[in-house]
Amino acid sequence: MNRRLALSIALGALLAGRVASAQEVTIGYQGLPYKSTGESNAGIQVSDSVLLHAGIGVEAGYDTNVFYAPSKEIGSSIFRFMPYAELTNATRTGPSSNILVFDARAGLQYRHYGNSEVASRYADAWNPNAGLSLSLGGAQFGFGVADVFARVEDPPYANPGNIDPITGIPTGVPPIQRTNNQASIEGRWAPGGGRLTTVLRFTNMVNIYDNNGTGNYSFANAMTNTLMLDVAWKWLPKTAIFFNVQQSIVSYLNQSRANNANLSDSYPLYVTAGLRGLLTEKTSAVLTLGYVNGFYSNGATTSGFLGSTYLDLAFTARLTQLSRAVVGFRHDFVNAVISNFAYQETAYASYIQQIAGRLALDVSGRYQYISYQGDTSDPTQVTADGGNRVDNFFQLGASLDYFLRNWAYIGVGYALLDNRSNIPLDDYLKQQVFARLGVTY
Amino acid sequence: MLKTKLLLTTIFMGSTVFAQGPAPEAPPAPGGQGTSAVDLSVKQKPTLTPADMINQSKEYFTGMGAVVKRIQTLQDQAKREKDIIRLNCVTDKLVQARVNVNIAEQSMATMQESVARNNEGEQTHEFTRLTIVNQKVTVLGAEAENCIGEDLSFVGATRIEVEVDPNIPQYDPTQPGSPFIDITRPPSASPID
Repeated sequence: MNRRLALSIALGALLAGRVASAQEVTIGYQGLPYKSTGESNAGIQVSDSVLLHAGIGVEAGYDTNVFYAPSKEIGSSIFRFMPYAELTNATRTGPSSNILVFDARAGLQYRHYGNSEVASRYADAWNPNAGLSLSLGGAQFGFGVADVFARVEDPPYANPGNIDPITGIPTGVPPIQRTNNQASIEGRWAPGGGRLTTVLRFTNMVNIYDNNGTGNYSFANAMTNTLMLDVAWKWLPKTAIFFNVQQSIVSYLNQSRANNANLSDSYPLYVTAGLRGLLTEKTSAVLTLGYVNGFYSNGATTSGFLGSTYLDLAFTARLTQLSRAVVGFRHDFVNAVISNFAYQETAYASYIQQIAGRLALDVSGRYQYISYQGDTSDPTQVTADGGNRVDNFFQLGASLDYFLRNWAYIGVGYALLDNRSNIPLDDYLKQQVFARLGVTY
Repeated sequence: MLKTKLLLTTIFMGSTVFAQGPAPEAPPAPGGQGTSAVDLSVKQKPTLTPADMINQSKEYFTGMGAVVKRIQTLQDQAKREKDIIRLNCVTDKLVQARVNVNIAEQSMATMQESVARNNEGEQTHEFTRLTIVNQKVTVLGAEAENCIGEDLSFVGATRIEVEVDPNIPQYDPTQPGSPFIDITRPPSASPID
């Protein structure tokens, strides 16, 4: 298995509980791995059908802009450490059952900024993550449940209203703490020869900004419930034409505070169709086009031809058995914190190369054009002429790992985040470099 | 046709020679005193007697029956082993042997009639036919023993090997993507609560 591909599994890919996760692409530097890489002959066989994976990773480096400041950046050394454990029903050579698949994992990341100027409340953070998935089923019927939890704590933005004018370090504002839990349940049906597959999935997501004090984001705490129906016809064994409908209900948990911030509940509807799967044995694609509507209960809502269109294009090419390239584009809208929503255009690319069976190179980049829509109660988030905020966000990530064994690695990583906004206070350039090593057994 | 004539002639002569009876008595030597000496003369008969022909024919039938039975045994063995190639070969020999036995039975009946009618020419003719048929059946039996089966030409059971291009991913790319949790950093907002 391609080690780097396995090492780059995204956080939410655990949901399916099946090997379909490999098609997700991760953009940017992903940090330390939080789950097993899927290498064969790794893991501790706890019993005949239960495998325990455990791992630990450490990385140390430098962050050029701890507080995402537009100027007078504060740099600091950074140290991260993450152990994890994962239980799955498998043997060291492969899954033990095609009918029942389960996976349970937990990890805890500790992050420390070494610069003494960085206040202690921002310097240290504990970020837990956990996941659970269970998939049951045979050829015709399938059932799955999954839950993913993550908490991330990051230093606050350095805004003129919260920084020490001399040091440029924020004071009096809490770190940005975001907790997200996503649970889902799905049923799968593939009658007859399996050409026609149907998936009905319900997802509940709770997003909490759980800090208090001036500058907190708790007004944006929300719960999203989504019901999805996906019908796909496999006109080739690994290529399908699909039709997908998703209806969501987004409700803010603190209605009064959300209303004060000009945020309103919404009922996003997606009706899309397209193609996904292999084009040739070396290339695959996801082509999705459809109608979308945010149905915001108050204030601005998605409208117009482009505003009502959803487009997702992704093309993957396995150039060799040891390399993979992905390019993609997405046109969508997302809920925002400073206003109802934002139109988002995203272009991304990723390249992974394994070299000589020991080295793994991962390079990826993303550009996002984010146009915030609707009224905002934050006077710092409108332009001088009263226009809405528009961001041009660039992200680059690279890592180069050397595998001492198939379960032990040492490497370097680089991350770049650059935001250029029509509101200069929101500009920032942040770069991070890391040296890292770890074990994923 | 020439070969057949030569064969018939040879067999006729051979059978005549083999069917020879004891040599006629040699005339007594002159001056013989009528002593009790051993008779060393070889008596010869130019043809078999009808009775001899019938007895010989019955021996032929016994032999041919044994050969046919042996070929049937070989056929059953090939069926049990499911050796198609050998079965086809043995079955072919068996069919020919049975056809020859039928011919021999007809010749036997005709020869017995000719003996009853005292028709020496026809007796000899039918006996010759029986002799030839007996030879044929013997040869067929030997050929059946030597039928080659699958064990010599068999190259192995048919095996199907499916080679999957390693570039083809093992996961199913036709499944809908998994929902991602959103832990991205929110955009900067005013510090004013």
